[in-house]
Amino acid sequence: MSFQVLLYQGLVGLSSAMYLWLLSAGLTIVFGVLGVLNFAHGAFFMIGAYLAYTFYGILGFNLAVSIALSLVGTAVIGVLVERFLVKPIMHLDHAFQLLLTFGLVLIFDDLAKAIWGGVFMIPPMPRVFQGAVWILGTPFPIYNLFVIGAGVAVWLLLWLLFEKTWWGRIVRATAADPQMAAALGVDVKRLYTGVFALGVMLAALGGALGTPVRVVAPGMGSFMIVQAFIVTVLGGLGSLTGAFVGALLVGVLSSYGTLLFPTVELALIYLIMAVVLLVRPHGLFGRARA
Amino acid sequence: MHGARGALLVVLVAVIVFLAVPSALAQCELGVDRIRFGGQGVLTGPLADYGRQIQMGMQLAIEEINAAGGILGCQLEMRFLDSELAPAVGVRNARQLADWGAHFFVGTDSSGVAMALGPVLQELDIIQFFTHAATHRLTEELVYEQGIKQIVRVAAPIYQDAVGALVVKDMPEVKRWATIGADYEYGYVAWQMFKDLLKRHRPDVEFVAEAWAPFFTMDFTPHIASVMAANPDGIFVTPWGGEAVMVLRQALQMGVFDRIQVWWQSMGGSVDALEGLTREIQADQFKGKLWASARYIHNWPDTEMNRRFVEAFQNRWARLPNYSAESAYSSIYIAKAAVEKARSLETDAIIAALQDMVIETPAGVRVFRNEDHQFEYAVPAGRAMYDPGYPIAILGDLRVFDTSEYWRYPPFPPLD
Repeated sequence: MSFQVLLYQGLVGLSSAMYLWLLSAGLTIVFGVLGVLNFAHGAFFMIGAYLAYTFYGILGFNLAVSIALSLVGTAVIGVLVERFLVKPIMHLDHAFQLLLTFGLVLIFDDLAKAIWGGVFMIPPMPRVFQGAVWILGTPFPIYNLFVIGAGVAVWLLLWLLFEKTWWGRIVRATAADPQMAAALGVDVKRLYTGVFALGVMLAALGGALGTPVRVVAPGMGSFMIVQAFIVTVLGGLGSLTGAFVGALLVGVLSSYGTLLFPTVELALIYLIMAVVLLVRPHGLFGRARA
Repeated sequence: MHGARGALLVVLVAVIVFLAVPSALAQCELGVDRIRFGGQGVLTGPLADYGRQIQMGMQLAIEEINAAGGILGCQLEMRFLDSELAPAVGVRNARQLADWGAHFFVGTDSSGVAMALGPVLQELDIIQFFTHAATHRLTEELVYEQGIKQIVRVAAPIYQDAVGALVVKDMPEVKRWATIGADYEYGYVAWQMFKDLLKRHRPDVEFVAEAWAPFFTMDFTPHIASVMAANPDGIFVTPWGGEAVMVLRQALQMGVFDRIQVWWQSMGGSVDALEGLTREIQADQFKGKLWASARYIHNWPDTEMNRRFVEAFQNRWARLPNYSAESAYSSIYIAKAAVEKARSLETDAIIAALQDMVIETPAGVRVFRNEDHQFEYAVPAGRAMYDPGYPIAILGDLRVFDTSEYWRYPPFPPLD
C-alpha cells in the first residue's frame, strides 16, 4: 500500500472528523459549563439539517444564508428547551438529564416526521462546490475541503471566544465556580442560556453542513450522537481541545480502519476509547470534576 | 315521564345492537368482526421510506378489498408499527399486534428483525407475510430446516442480489471487483452470492477490496476511498434506500465514475433511491455506468394487473410503488386467496391453502415453494436512466433471467 494512499485516506478521515467535531464541541461546552449531559444534542444536529434543507432546498435561499438561518432557528428552539426543560432539572443527577434529553430525541424525531414526512430529503450540491481537486494524484471533493476549512475555522473562533474575549473569561469563571461568579454579579442563568444556545448552534452547523452530501431524515442525529459521546469521553468531558483532538482521532482512525481492517473498523474505535480511559480515566484532556 | 323516556332509550339501543351486531357477524363467514392485519416496517431514518411503502401497499389492498365486499364478507383492518430496524422492537411489536388481535402479520425490512421474529411467530401461531427482509436463512433455516410454518416470504430473497453477476459476466473489460457492503448479514451474503455466481461464469475476475458500512452511516467517503485504492473496474454496493443515495452522491463528488466501468447498486431500483438520484441521472452524471437490481420495479412487467396497480397506487398516494409496497399489496391478496380457499383463519388451513399456489400479482406470476414457503418470481435488473415519460428516473435496458439461473433450491447447499 503506497504512502499516497495512506495520506489520501487520512485526508478523507479529516473531513469526516469535522462533522463529529462540530457536534462534539457543542456537547462538551454544554457539559463543561452547565454540567448537563445533553443526549438531545443529536436532535439539534437533525433540526439544523432540516432547517437548512427547508431554506436551501425548498425556499431556494443560497447555502450560506440557509445555514445561517438554520443556526438562528435552532438556537431559538435550544433557548426554549434550556429555559423550560433543562433548567428545572440541572441540579438533579445526570441520569435524570439523560432520561429527559433522550425523551426529547424521540419527541423531536417524531415532530420532524410530522412536519417534513418520513421520506429522506436531498438538496442539490451548490454549483460552486461541485467536482473535485486533484490531491496526491486522486480527485478529492471540493466540498470536503470546504468542510475541513469550516471545522478548523470554528475551532479557531471558539478558541478566540473562550480565551481572548471578556464573555469567554466569564464563561470559564462561571464553569469553575458558578456561586462565586453569581456573587460577583454574573447573571448565571442568562449565561447558561447563552452557552446552551451556542452548543446547539454548533450541532446545527454540523447537521446543516452535511445537507448537500447527505440525506436529511428523521433520526439522523441518533447515530451521530453515539460517536460524539465517544469523542467527548475520549477527549475529556468538558474539554474543547479534547473534543477537537478526539474528533480527529475518531475520524481519521476509523477512516484508516475502513482501509486496513474493514471488518472490525467499528470495534477499533471502541477499543481505542477503552485503552485511553484505562490510562487516563478523565480522557485525553479532561480533569476530574470537583 | 323521565323514566319512560329512559326505558324507551334502552329498548332502542337494545334493538339496534340486536339488529346490527348479529348482522355484521352474519355477513362475515369466518365468525370474526374483522380480519386484522398487523404490519411493521422501518419508519425512522434514511431507510424510513421502506416501512412507509409497506404501509401504503397494505392500506391500498385493504381499501380495495373492503370496497369490493371484503374476504368472505369480512371487512379488513390494519395497524402499523415502526420496527426501528431493531430486533427487540420487532418482537415487541409482534406481541403488541397479537394482543390487538392480529390474524396475520405483514412487513419487516431488516433480516435481523425477521430472524428474531421467526420463533415468536411460532409461539404466537400467527402467519407473517415477509415483504422485504431478504436473508436466505429466514426460509432456508427457519422454515426448511426448523419447520417454522408461520413464515411466508412474498418478496424476492437475497438471491435476487446476485442477479448482477449474470449481467456483468458479459462485460469482459470488467475484471477487478470491489464491494462497499452493508455491514450486516445481508451485505456479506449478497457479496458472497454475487462472487460465487460471477466466478462460475467468469473465472478470470478478481475480488480486490471490501469496505463495510453499518446501518445509518452518513459519510461513505472513507469506504469509497478505501475500495478505490485497489483500482477496481466494478463496485458492488449493498447499502440501500437513503444510504444508497448518499454513497452514490459522495462517489460522484470523488470522481469515481471517471475511474470505474460499472457500479452495481443492489436494490438501487427502489423508488426512493431513484427519486433521490433523478437529478444526477437526468444529467448523465453516472455516465451510463450505474446498474441496479430490485425486488420489483414499477415499469415491469407490462401487464394489465401491474399497470392497474401502479395507477391505483399513484392515485392514492401520489408516489410510485417500490418493491416493499408491491410485496405488501400482494401479501394481502395472497392472504385473501388463501383464506377464501381455506374458509378459515387457522394457520394449518391457510398453509394448506398456500400449497402449490400460483397467483398473478403486479410483479408477475408468483409460485409458492412448498418446502421453504418462499414465493418465486423473476425481477429484471437494469441500467439507471431517465425517461421523460416517468416522473422519476427508472431502470431501463432491462435484463430478465430465469430464476433457475441464480436462485437457490432445496436441499440447500451450504454457502462457500
